[in-house]
Amino acid sequence: MARVLIVEDDKDLNNAYSIILKNEGHEVVSAFNGREALGKLKDFSPNLILLDLLMPIMGGLEFLQQYNLPKAHKDVKVLIFTNMENSPEVTEAYKLGAYRCIIKSWTAPHNLARVVTDALQAPTAAATT
Amino acid sequence: MPPDVSPLAPVRLPLEQRAEAEALFTSIGEGAISTDEFGRITRINPVAQSILGYKESELLGEWFPKKIVAVTADDIVVNLIDRPISKAFLTGRSISEKIFYRRKDGQKIPVAVSVSPILVDNKPLGAIEVFRDITLQEEVDRMKSEFISLASHQLRTPLSAIKTYSHMLVDGYMGKLTTTQKQSLRTIIGAADRMNELVSTLLNITRIESGTIAITPKQLHVDKIAEEVLKELSLPATDKNITLSLHCRDKSRAALKTDTLILKEILTNLVSNAIKYTPKGGTVTITVRPRAKDVLVHVNDTGWGIPKYAQDQVFSKFFRAPNIVKRETTGTGLGLYLVKGLVDALDGNIWFKSDEATGTNFYFTIPRTKQTSRRTRGQPLVASQQPETRPEDYS
Repeated sequence: MARVLIVEDDKDLNNAYSIILKNEGHEVVSAFNGREALGKLKDFSPNLILLDLLMPIMGGLEFLQQYNLPKAHKDVKVLIFTNMENSPEVTEAYKLGAYRCIIKSWTAPHNLARVVTDALQAPTAAATT
Repeated sequence: MPPDVSPLAPVRLPLEQRAEAEALFTSIGEGAISTDEFGRITRINPVAQSILGYKESELLGEWFPKKIVAVTADDIVVNLIDRPISKAFLTGRSISEKIFYRRKDGQKIPVAVSVSPILVDNKPLGAIEVFRDITLQEEVDRMKSEFISLASHQLRTPLSAIKTYSHMLVDGYMGKLTTTQKQSLRTIIGAADRMNELVSTLLNITRIESGTIAITPKQLHVDKIAEEVLKELSLPATDKNITLSLHCRDKSRAALKTDTLILKEILTNLVSNAIKYTPKGGTVTITVRPRAKDVLVHVNDTGWGIPKYAQDQVFSKFFRAPNIVKRETTGTGLGLYLVKGLVDALDGNIWFKSDEATGTNFYFTIPRTKQTSRRTRGQPLVASQQPETRPEDYS
């Protein structure tokens, strides 16, 4: 089982993702914006980050820039969970090293669990395609 | 370099006509510049002086293309041959375009330009260019786009919570439910899905009809975009045990310059439609075929098809095929109307072949012609009354 960091400002959704992933046996830590996530990363080293893009204080893109995913954290997969379908922000997130982008309003819990499992099993080299 | 020409020849008009033309020119509410046949400025009205930041005395007799520098959105100086005034002289027709002019103080301002040649016996004697500063309009468009994007996000966030928690209840995360309770929750999920779809489609249609859809061409590989779309739609396809596949003939030639997001939106709509209207266990295939002047994309499904008698309405607003309405009650009938608008925005063509026995094939083309950054004109989409069926284009 893996260590997952959820970065989502909507408390209800953050809580739901946490329940679903804990139920799958993952160790889960929650943050509600990018800055809080960077703080949590000092003591928690995740295999996967579930990241929203539009958040107060620090959004997902700024978080990705500061986290420096492709260089400093090659082994960490970042799944973008957003409702900003086909937006320039999504394209930018891929450029910053995101592994996959999921539209959250379309994603059922069993799919969330499956997407997380698939991402964790995929080789790191396949990222960002 | 300015052309080597004789000094300005005076315009010979009767006094009355000259006074009338002068008054008309001066009172035009937009910037207006007239030139002689060599492109030298013969008149400039007060609005043009104010937009460009020059005094009349600084411009009269100057060679217009040199004195007033035109640039693109990317700040590249527009070649003389590509200036609207040159095109008007060369074609003998009125030309309307959006470009940027550099003011005297160096500031770049977006302008909507309309230039007409003055023709006597088919010979150009000069040109009149009318232009207006569209800075405010651009700003309003940008704010509108931002609002639409934000509204899209904000409308979907509560829907995501409704859907996720309903699913969690159905899946037993909060304890066991009765069959009736589960059925009720599935109804809630279905309604949330419909709302989601509606939000997406309406926002996109608003963008395209209001002219706030920005077209930003970038070099891309059509097959790569198709691959991304299939990856993103793999979840609903797996739910129905539908096989998704992609074929590309000659990948190296599948590269062209067009708008990534719009192309992705077109493919997402066509493929999600194909998944939705194909029975369990079927297939949905994208074939990318590079051709000399364009790239042809073919989306094939083994679905229920569109009845012949309804095919002429496929791209109309709110169209839903009668055979589909019987099977699938959800859907807005806006998806293909939107797709047609998006393909038009990219200067492509779209058509289809469909058979109730074998499924549906949508074809669209993306031209290789040079595309420039622009916004679509704010006009409602005109739905095709007759589908353009061109099976011969695809072999």
